[in-house]
Amino acid sequence: MVGFLASLGSAVSHANDERGKQLYANCVACHQADGSGLKLLNAPAIAGLSEKYVAAQIAKFKAGHRGGDPRDTSGLQMRPMASLLASEADIAAVSKYVASLEPKPIAATLEGGNAERGKALYATCQACHGADGAGNDLLNAPSLLNQHDWYHVAQLQKFKDGVRGSNPQDTTGAQMRPMAMMLTDEQAVKDVVAYIQTLSN
Amino acid sequence: MLEYFLPRASSFAGSIDHLFDLITYLVMFWFLLTFAFFLYVVFRFRAKPGQKAQYITGETHKQKQAIEIPHYLILVCDLAILFYTFKVWHEVKIDMPEYDEQVRVISQQWAWTFEHAGADGVLDTEDDIVLINEMVLKKDTQYQYELQALDVMHSFSIPVFRLKQDSVPGRKIFGHFKPILEGEWDIQCAEMCGYGHGFMPARVIIKSAEEYDAWIAENTPAHLKQDTAYATTESESKEAPNNG
Repeated sequence: MVGFLASLGSAVSHANDERGKQLYANCVACHQADGSGLKLLNAPAIAGLSEKYVAAQIAKFKAGHRGGDPRDTSGLQMRPMASLLASEADIAAVSKYVASLEPKPIAATLEGGNAERGKALYATCQACHGADGAGNDLLNAPSLLNQHDWYHVAQLQKFKDGVRGSNPQDTTGAQMRPMAMMLTDEQAVKDVVAYIQTLSN
Repeated sequence: MLEYFLPRASSFAGSIDHLFDLITYLVMFWFLLTFAFFLYVVFRFRAKPGQKAQYITGETHKQKQAIEIPHYLILVCDLAILFYTFKVWHEVKIDMPEYDEQVRVISQQWAWTFEHAGADGVLDTEDDIVLINEMVLKKDTQYQYELQALDVMHSFSIPVFRLKQDSVPGRKIFGHFKPILEGEWDIQCAEMCGYGHGFMPARVIIKSAEEYDAWIAENTPAHLKQDTAYATTESESKEAPNNG
């Protein structure tokens, strides 16, 4: 009986994995089959991000709490895609699948960042994202590893401008805004991103 | 005929429908006539024992007339369609009527941003009301729209307005419409614009003047509101002579 229940349980979870993989077909055009993203379509790497973070972001896009600002042109691209996931169960299934993808090293595109200076600036980030940049689900902080540098720059800029994280419903995004504000100029953003890139290697 | 399938919500929707009707009825007339003629011929000249088929080369004047006369008649119909097409094209796309309100439409992959001029009726001021995938209009008001594209070509299509206009990156395209029917209708992208083309529907909401003013008031921050007390006094003073 126990064995039967166990096999039933595994069958259900297997079915969920299949569902997640099926649903991920909608994401492939931009985020790629391996979840490594595509700059041409402003799609970040998502492989290996935590299930909780991915599910939370999809829910935010769906509700317009993220990507709901008219200035957020690349966020607006994601919004209709998130609305394709009709139920909580679908969001959970696809998030699980995304989390199961193996992250891959991403080539650097950014020039002019000073990783040494970035290291000092990263002290602020460390509290939530961890010294190793692997993130912390308990603090709603995503992993920063194996991510495109242009995406980090763009998101920091969006947090600074209030294009991301300024919706009153986006409480976890609001946490990030004052942190991004500490990077006072473009050079500081580049420096810290340059340092974050070294964490992946 | 089209209004039975889709209501007309803009001042020029009727003209587009009439053009469609004209084309449909003229083409239908010639189609049915030709079809009836062929059926008659098939029946009248059916195979009979002892009768050989003829080979007609179509060289005599009389034989040629069988083609020429319908040809010229159809040409006259074409000219009628062409004449009416120019008239409607001018009404919808070329002539720019004086406008009372402006709205800016920005298309991108895969969303529409609508910038409403707000309480002061001027775009690019602090009281602009910016909405995503939702355009709010005032009934019976002449609008001018400014259409932009941020990335690739899109097409701004409102079926109930019978309006379709491509947006082109790098260009500002101006056009006009006058909503004449209250309600909420679809806006769609009618130009294949990439992966999410099918997922960028928007809505147009047409409100009566009172509802529209209430909507403006609701969406204008308090410090930008015009002095309503002053406005009332002004309108009262204007009406005063009529009352006296």
